[in-house]
Amino acid sequence: MSTTETIAPPTTTRQKEYVHVPQQPVSQQGIGDISIKNLTVSFKTPKGVYTAIDNISLEIKKGEIVAFIGHSGCGKSTLMGAISGMTTPTTGEVIANGKTVKGPGPDRGIVFQNYSLLPWLSVYKNIYEAVDSTMKHLSHTEKIELVENNLKMVKLWEHKDKLPGQLSGGMKQRVSIARAFAIDPKILLLDEPFGALDALTKSNMHLELLKLWNIGNREKTIVMVTHDIEEAIFLCDRVVVMNNGPAATIKEIVEVNLPRPRNKKDIVHNEEYMTIHDKLLNLLIDKFSIND
Amino acid sequence: MKNTVNTILLPVAYFVAGMSILLFGWTIVSAVTHNEVPSPSDTWIVFKEVFQSPFKNDADTKGIGTKLLSSLGRVGIGFTIGSLIAIPLGLLLGSSKIMMNIFNPVIQILRPVSPLAWFPLGLAIFKDSPQASIFMIIICCLWPTLINTSFGVASIPQDHKNVGKAFGFSTFKYITKIMLPYSLPHIFTGLKLSIGIAWMVIVAGEMLSGGSGLGNFVWEEGFNGGSIAKILVAIVIIGIVGLILDKIFTALQKKVSFAA
Repeated sequence: MSTTETIAPPTTTRQKEYVHVPQQPVSQQGIGDISIKNLTVSFKTPKGVYTAIDNISLEIKKGEIVAFIGHSGCGKSTLMGAISGMTTPTTGEVIANGKTVKGPGPDRGIVFQNYSLLPWLSVYKNIYEAVDSTMKHLSHTEKIELVENNLKMVKLWEHKDKLPGQLSGGMKQRVSIARAFAIDPKILLLDEPFGALDALTKSNMHLELLKLWNIGNREKTIVMVTHDIEEAIFLCDRVVVMNNGPAATIKEIVEVNLPRPRNKKDIVHNEEYMTIHDKLLNLLIDKFSIND
Repeated sequence: MKNTVNTILLPVAYFVAGMSILLFGWTIVSAVTHNEVPSPSDTWIVFKEVFQSPFKNDADTKGIGTKLLSSLGRVGIGFTIGSLIAIPLGLLLGSSKIMMNIFNPVIQILRPVSPLAWFPLGLAIFKDSPQASIFMIIICCLWPTLINTSFGVASIPQDHKNVGKAFGFSTFKYITKIMLPYSLPHIFTGLKLSIGIAWMVIVAGEMLSGGSGLGNFVWEEGFNGGSIAKILVAIVIIGIVGLILDKIFTALQKKVSFAA
């Protein structure tokens, strides 16, 4: 059985069973799934109504890793915000873990674009408070262990007593990642999670992300916003390319059928990889050279 | 070397310059009024006299220190009670738009009322003048702390609130780990303003209520006793104590502030 098969989407028959029973909040079936239905998000601005994303529908299945990619201002963060619950849809809805998204919640771990650490709490405390609130079944010692493991994973254990204000942008981002990982959510939402990291740390974090995904039997759904084509291909099952805003829509969804586990070094020589890379590049970039 | 000049010598020089201007102005006023307002040096003589036995506490004569302490005591009680009302109420108003809309007009109407107007009301309620002056302080202490606390809570960034929601913080955890730490600097700004007002109000209150305290000293021993110098001595003491209170609260405020 190949690794890609283990994350095959649920059979259509199972979906059919639930066609007649819309929204069963207690149902285990929706856990890990994200369903975006006719989602439009508009903002009122002094210049009038600005539509960020227009009538987007997308199904993301449990265990999938999906990236939203596109130019700045294409609404990918807005789309992510609608899944995390920080942005309210104007029309349409997002169903995550079987429930309509009404606000942020611990069933969806979020790595915020601006890190969102609490500035008065130490690095350690920032993660501990999140673990303490969400992992109620754990003993105090287990919680402490969990915080320690996650801080060591992002290589910040020796900085645990510092306040966020004393950290660099990349370090803050790693704290934010450790915090989202620590609460072990069914759905992990990453808004440009590795943007502020140097290439080496970034590469490391990619592997840590996949390691975490593997430990969870590849059942965690991971959605990320990124600018980075290589990152998207290395990590994802599908790459959602967005049109330029305003009123952004999905331009194309590119499947990445590369076998897992993927090797960072070897994958770049893979023919399939290069095809996908070229395809994404063509979708994102109109001009490849300067006209003299 | 340059650092010492900037951090120690310069502030001292500025202080000396400011005080010199004050003393110079005072001397001129004194000369213009033909010593109706005593000169700084005459006041200094009275100052030393007043401080001969500051903590004397007989039945009929009380030292300036004793009076100062009794004023401070009243300010302390009034300020504490006022803050204990204002902080929780401020947290409530800041976190609920509805409560804010309901209470805001009430606050806006009561806040500008002169402290002195509350005194007879307190007297009618408590039938005791020292208690009435404490009542007056409580009322006047409320507003800055109440307004600043509610402003602090109302201005918690959406980001911080989202953290609380995204990581499932309980209400208790939200209050102790997000709401209070964020609003503490604002609360202390309010407390600093409140203690300043309390200290201003107590003198007026004690002038009305009689009995002990600095206000009584100004009125009875100063004005009725015909010693303008004593009034000036009291003004200097009130000013210095007020400055010290302000410095204490500024230090506390710095302590609870965080780097964003």
